[in-house]
Amino acid sequence: MSQSNRIDGGLIDRSQTLSFTFNGKAMQGHPGDTLASALLANGQRLVGRSFKYHRPRGIFTAGSEEPNALVQLRKGAHQEPNTRATTVELFRGLEATSQNHRGSLNFDIMAANDLLAPWLSAGFYYKTFMWPKAFWEKVYEPFIRASAGLGALSKVEDPDTYDKGFLHCDLLVIGAGPAGLSAALAAGRSGARVILADEDFTPGGRLNAETLEVDGMAGSGWAAEAITELASMDNVRIMPRATVYGAYDHGIYGALERMTDHLANADGKPRQVLWRIYSKRALLTAGATERPIAFPMNDRPGVMLAGAVRAYANRFGVAPGKRVAVFTNNDDGWRTATDLAAKGVEITAVIDTRETDAQASIPRASIVMGGRVVDTAGRKGLTSITLANGQTIPTDCLAVSGGWSPNVHLTCHQRGRPGWREDIAAFVPSGDLPPGMSVAGAANGTLTLSAALNEGRAQANEAVKDLGFAASRKAPPKAEDEARETSAFWHVAEGKRRAWLDLQNDVTVKDVKQSHAEGFRSVEHLKRYTTLGMATDQGKTANIPALAIMAEQTGKTIPETGTTIFRPPYTPVPIGALAGRSRGKDFRPYRLTPSHKWAEENGATFVETGNWLRAQWFARPGEQGWRDSVDREVEMTRASVGICDVTTLGKIDIQGRDAAEFLNKIYANGFAKLPVGKVRYGLMLREDGICYDDGTTARLAENHFVMTTTTANAVLVFRRMEFARQCLWPNLDVHMISVTDGWAQYAVAGPNSRKLLAKIVDDFDISNDVFPFMGCAELTVCGGTPARLFRISFSGELAYEIAVPARYGRCDDPGADAGGRGIRRDPLWHRSAWRDADRKGPRGG
Amino acid sequence: MPEFTLTAKPFLGGYSRDFNGTTLTEATDVSITSIAQPLGGREALAKAVQSAWGCALPTPGKTVEADDGHRMFCTGPDSFLLTGPALADPAGDAAKALKGAGYVTDQSETWVTLRLSGPQARPALERICPVDLHPDALPAGAFARTVMEHLGAIVLAEGGDTFTLMSASSSANSFLHAIEVSLQNVG
Repeated sequence: MSQSNRIDGGLIDRSQTLSFTFNGKAMQGHPGDTLASALLANGQRLVGRSFKYHRPRGIFTAGSEEPNALVQLRKGAHQEPNTRATTVELFRGLEATSQNHRGSLNFDIMAANDLLAPWLSAGFYYKTFMWPKAFWEKVYEPFIRASAGLGALSKVEDPDTYDKGFLHCDLLVIGAGPAGLSAALAAGRSGARVILADEDFTPGGRLNAETLEVDGMAGSGWAAEAITELASMDNVRIMPRATVYGAYDHGIYGALERMTDHLANADGKPRQVLWRIYSKRALLTAGATERPIAFPMNDRPGVMLAGAVRAYANRFGVAPGKRVAVFTNNDDGWRTATDLAAKGVEITAVIDTRETDAQASIPRASIVMGGRVVDTAGRKGLTSITLANGQTIPTDCLAVSGGWSPNVHLTCHQRGRPGWREDIAAFVPSGDLPPGMSVAGAANGTLTLSAALNEGRAQANEAVKDLGFAASRKAPPKAEDEARETSAFWHVAEGKRRAWLDLQNDVTVKDVKQSHAEGFRSVEHLKRYTTLGMATDQGKTANIPALAIMAEQTGKTIPETGTTIFRPPYTPVPIGALAGRSRGKDFRPYRLTPSHKWAEENGATFVETGNWLRAQWFARPGEQGWRDSVDREVEMTRASVGICDVTTLGKIDIQGRDAAEFLNKIYANGFAKLPVGKVRYGLMLREDGICYDDGTTARLAENHFVMTTTTANAVLVFRRMEFARQCLWPNLDVHMISVTDGWAQYAVAGPNSRKLLAKIVDDFDISNDVFPFMGCAELTVCGGTPARLFRISFSGELAYEIAVPARYGRCDDPGADAGGRGIRRDPLWHRSAWRDADRKGPRGG
Repeated sequence: MPEFTLTAKPFLGGYSRDFNGTTLTEATDVSITSIAQPLGGREALAKAVQSAWGCALPTPGKTVEADDGHRMFCTGPDSFLLTGPALADPAGDAAKALKGAGYVTDQSETWVTLRLSGPQARPALERICPVDLHPDALPAGAFARTVMEHLGAIVLAEGGDTFTLMSASSSANSFLHAIEVSLQNVG
């Protein structure tokens, strides 16, 4: 298909052609296109089916607020459902398919639902699937699940990688439209560290979509120059393709940066990075979202928001229709007519709900003031509209403007509620902002260009001055303030056919009225009962008109009716990005003992204990299961000797003049009189008397102890002792530091354990007389390696624990085996040995 | 006498790799000793440190360079780390030098030390390190204790694009993996 709707101009690179497919059909676009603009350029108006009625749907917007044009991207394991075609940056070889239909996009058998519409209204599920009760799980739920939902998951593991990160700045500017660019320039020039994040791949916001001028040049050109200047500043980080999706405590913001989504091949790099941005101040310049007017049969492909139609023409060089009509309640809608007419696109009519003078004269267009659209025609694409005066106007694109709603979302993420501004008929941020946040430009209700540029600069200057920087004195960029008068006209009352509010969830004006009639009048109830404002777009275009209708029903004002609570994320965040790299074996770190490699090579089966991997048993050829191995190890230990890596036990070095007294307080049993060179078993209790931890503590010198704790509790015990030292008994001179990782420690147990140890100690008498039960000593082994020896036992028999500095404790060199030559020995399986020991004495774990 | 000897092996086998001009290397030539200040013994410790290593006690979050290639970190109101060249008995040496003015513990085996240097050092650390590594926030000689990929860590700014990273030796492989993945992700 040729690019039949391509017109001159726009910010696309026509020197390169990108081929892509939609439902297998080959199409072409250019760098700078979104998938949506490329589809429109190729004359593809029908792009999907609606959620409930499976009605044909087209592209409605030109941004992240898109409710309709949800498509699946890529294939196989890389398949991604529910992406908004309006935000997808076109690349060569992109494969997109439509979703939510059975059969083809053109012939969807589920469209039969549309005929059942009278029975599928608000609350349909709650009323219909109640009886018989037994049918719910077996019949209704599977049926609903099969029919519901939009895209489909690939059901195989996501092969892409994701990452996370941390950024820091003085000022975070959220949105790179006119206010954001003006703010970033001012803050950047002051020397403050600035992050400028924008969800689009081309910064500029509405400047790229309008024909307005800044500093005597095209707005898009000024935006590009501003970005060039910002890019030259070391203190400014520009993040395109990055959506700031949530405002959290202490000036922390969440942002999703799409790193490789616009590339055919990610080349092994993470697809997306989830940033945590620590800001001292934040300036929200997120712009505004245009909202529709509800009128009968307003959901056909070809019915679009007026600002979007203008964006396609001005930014992407695409005429969304050959004969375009405009339906507006405000001045801004007229810009669509004038801009497209200037580009040679035929404007068939401008219908303004207001009884005022025409804003412009459009050649050959019929101008209808005080007009209303009461019906439309065209099953798979708009063909004509009918007005309240009976006039039918052939048209293939109707540009609708119901005014603009500031994107207040992030201002409400900490329970703030927006306030109502009558003059622009919109909610604006109230004074109740997250700490450190300010708002400028359209997001603040400052909808005109010059005012937005000035406000962005002023707010940025205030923020940086607050942080101690000298504000730049450079004059603000010059621009005009365009006409933005608007009226509060929400829906066309005439006409009997359905008028959609929420295109994504198929919620109509009638559904809102029904919700009211059935008693679901709070906005939060309205949302749940009708599904208004749910799913991927969260009602960005639908909510305000629906609130207005609820307000009409209840007889309250719109601010009295209020909005539902705004919660993060602003736009969808893939679960993969939230997981980051914490997948599979990278879910958490592992701690390995010095003998780990040796154990691996010798057939160890490991158990996770906290983050440690600990050898459980060592299988030998011919053994049928763990029990065989364990029995052999137990038998070997009882008959001769067994060795067990006990490095994982916590080890805490304790020193100080009052160390003994401190231990005496920490343990339930006495430690004050423990002689130097002796070890004692100790029991720690909680305040309520329940056992907290246990282990042994050795007195190496008068003021020097080394404590062992259980593996899993090592950190908790250390933390508790620090608390005791710092808060309970700050008058005691005691200091502690963890040495768990510092020593490779092995238990050597069994009747031959002394014989084995005698082979490695340097000139140290380990006879029973000199080194009796519960003795401890610092010594050297293997010709000078420092070591610690403890005569402690978990099996009640002759046993020791020997520790060497961790770097010497690796058993992966052949020398390690040499010590036991001539003695029957085996690695010892902790649990069996200790279970056996339970009958005879204390145990640790 | 035993018929064989034990050999020390670095936790990461002396790892060293170049990631397109940014290098990641295990520092195997360092000793680490913790020094705790006895209760009420600030002045005595300061004097002893001055005479032993020719430096004043650092303030929290800061390090000071000392004689003979040593560096002293202040890790708490009454606790310090002394890093220096590899020695046979660094804690013993420090104890002798301090003459009882501080409690010493050998920490050489407790930490794995990595040195990250090059243009990708900051971008890579941005992916795992919550600390602000901008030179204004963490100037040369400053350090921070933090958590990277669930692992407690120390990051020391050496100046320019060079950082020393320390974490528990038992999880050295996981720590190395986290930094390697970061370098691969940004490189």
